[in-house]
Amino acid sequence: MVRILIINPGSTSTKVAFFEDEKSVWEEKIQYSHDDLNHFSHVMDQYEMRLRDIESILDKKNLNIKSLSAVVGRGGPFRPLKSGTYEISEDVLQDIRDGNVQTEHISNIAVFLASHIAIQANIKAFFVDPVSVDEMEPVARISGIPEIQRKCLAHALNIRAVAHQASKELGKSIGELNFIAVHLGGGISICPICKGRIIDVNNANEEGPFSPERSGTLPVSSLAKLCYSGEKTYPEMKKRLVGNGGMAAYLGTNDSREVEQRIQQGDSQAKLVYQAMAYQIAKEIGAMSTVLNGKVDAILLTGGMAHSLILVGWIKKRVSFIAPIRIYPGEHEMEAMALGVLRVLRGKEKVRHYRRERT
Amino acid sequence: MKRLYRILVINPGSTSTKIAVFSDGEAIFSNSIKHSTDELSQFKRIIDQLNYRLQIIRKILDGNNVDLKKLDSVVGRGGLLRPIPGGTYAVNQKMLKDLNTAKRGEHASNLGGIIAHRLGKALGIPAFIVDPVVVDEMESLARISGHPTIERRSIFHALNQKAVARQAAFDLGKPYKKINLIVVHLGGGISVGCHINGRVVDVNNALDGDGPFGPERAGGLPSGQLAELCFSEKYSYEEIKKMLVGQGGIVAYLGTNDMKKIESRMKAGDAHARLIVGAMAYQVAKTVGSMAAVLKGHVDGIVLTGGLARDKEFVRLIRERISWIGRILIYPGEDEMLALAQGAMKALKNTKCVLEY
Repeated sequence: MVRILIINPGSTSTKVAFFEDEKSVWEEKIQYSHDDLNHFSHVMDQYEMRLRDIESILDKKNLNIKSLSAVVGRGGPFRPLKSGTYEISEDVLQDIRDGNVQTEHISNIAVFLASHIAIQANIKAFFVDPVSVDEMEPVARISGIPEIQRKCLAHALNIRAVAHQASKELGKSIGELNFIAVHLGGGISICPICKGRIIDVNNANEEGPFSPERSGTLPVSSLAKLCYSGEKTYPEMKKRLVGNGGMAAYLGTNDSREVEQRIQQGDSQAKLVYQAMAYQIAKEIGAMSTVLNGKVDAILLTGGMAHSLILVGWIKKRVSFIAPIRIYPGEHEMEAMALGVLRVLRGKEKVRHYRRERT
Repeated sequence: MKRLYRILVINPGSTSTKIAVFSDGEAIFSNSIKHSTDELSQFKRIIDQLNYRLQIIRKILDGNNVDLKKLDSVVGRGGLLRPIPGGTYAVNQKMLKDLNTAKRGEHASNLGGIIAHRLGKALGIPAFIVDPVVVDEMESLARISGHPTIERRSIFHALNQKAVARQAAFDLGKPYKKINLIVVHLGGGISVGCHINGRVVDVNNALDGDGPFGPERAGGLPSGQLAELCFSEKYSYEEIKKMLVGQGGIVAYLGTNDMKKIESRMKAGDAHARLIVGAMAYQVAKTVGSMAAVLKGHVDGIVLTGGLARDKEFVRLIRERISWIGRILIYPGEDEMLALAQGAMKALKNTKCVLEY
């Protein structure tokens, strides 16, 4: 039996889980208040505190780390990487210490936490499909002006996990199939997956459909005019695009359940906006279908809003001509990490090695 | 015997006035009058050019022995009017008022309706305009952008889109009012329109910037990165506007908007040129795919038109990504004069289809 410890630090919590093979034995969450975190100027400084709290959970659960087969930590915004399961090595740790990452983010300390425990237990540590997974084709990186390059940032962990799950259900390997994966969360990522590789994505912060909190693509001339109007500061404008954009801006809430209630009560504005979101999601799926030349084995809907029957229904009626639709509601990060490790430990997939770029 | 209609077509552009006489579908006379900047600079407003342009038009018609008495109607390029559905409109007082006062903006094409009216009135024949740039048949769903302060607008190559869509419908043996088409106008800017039963229910705005980049325009861009650029203090508003329209797209990447030159660079092994043209085709294909979703996959035809539809390699790159969606029809170039004449002819044959502004 494979016994895996999973460590997933978020901005205000750390989730810890223990899996035996595919089965979650327990999952715990350590919550941090604003006051707990306030005095750290860098996220890396939270390392000691986060480690201590994880260790006390292991004590409480009576889990002897020597009994573990592997530890896995959430992958952060490292430099652009191919998708897959990576063994944590000194190379990735050194790159993070040196700041060779895309942004400072709490998930960067996950690999340190995982590595520390693994060394003590004399086992291997891994990270799986970090947010910096980038397998975009050169042609997809061109925006429309040389000053701006399209970036690949996707909900890679969940998207790849769902693609693996769908492949299993279809009785094939991920390397034989093409998918369009749609992550329906606070931000929406839509990617064509060509034989396992995420070859394009609307960067959910920048492009594609608007989402509960983000504006997505906006007409550029109007946007530029707004930027130069002097009415808004840059931080205000950023908030408008990510955080307070999209559904929240139109309807004053980012809660899709609330919007659905309002629709049921006959709120026609809520209906128009919610339908428009589905419309834009469908258009982005249509766009990505041409990236795969129409050769799509399935469209995979996942994330929290994939629970919504009306939203899924509206999307479905516009895109079912492309491929059959499969629905994987919610987001199961802990399981996704466990399964990623299981695949390499069982030899179903080759483990990847992070190498520092020589300068 | 079938009656042949004879139509005078007037198309005022910013530095030229094109005129033509059509006998049914055939141009029997055409002329393009160039106006120098010197001549035009004496006029403060577009409307001030009216008598100047009228005089030249009369002189040219006279000098070429065009028999005005044989004309059945005059049609002008439509101007900046309020948003209206596509079709052929009789020039009326309300329209003249909006054009005279440039209520919706100054544009040379505002003179089209006015000149048609003047000439038509003198000859006692009807004056029309056809599918002006303000044609707006967008569904309310398509107007939502992603933020309530910005609305998606319908501004596109309506005249050519509508003309080729009608032609394609004819060639496919269906009425335009009963066909689903995706029309791709490949010009300096690129518009991809979704035509459902005769209405363009969604279209990327080639001017305001969503959809693919074109030879001179940036198209849609990542919004956060664009905002960052705007606030970087490296560029003035005027500079950013140029980057988006005029100096964006192909010309920004490759230093020229001349596709023939770029073709030969590609043939000579210029990998960067190949990448950029490939990216333009990639984005055109993606926009076509998005419109196919609007049509729920019920696509009777995908129509490629405009100057770039002549570029075989570019068309091949688009085609390989979208041919699974529907049949592809190619109508290269753009014939505004013919489109205007056809609009007028339709109105003469069947007065029921004349719309009132």
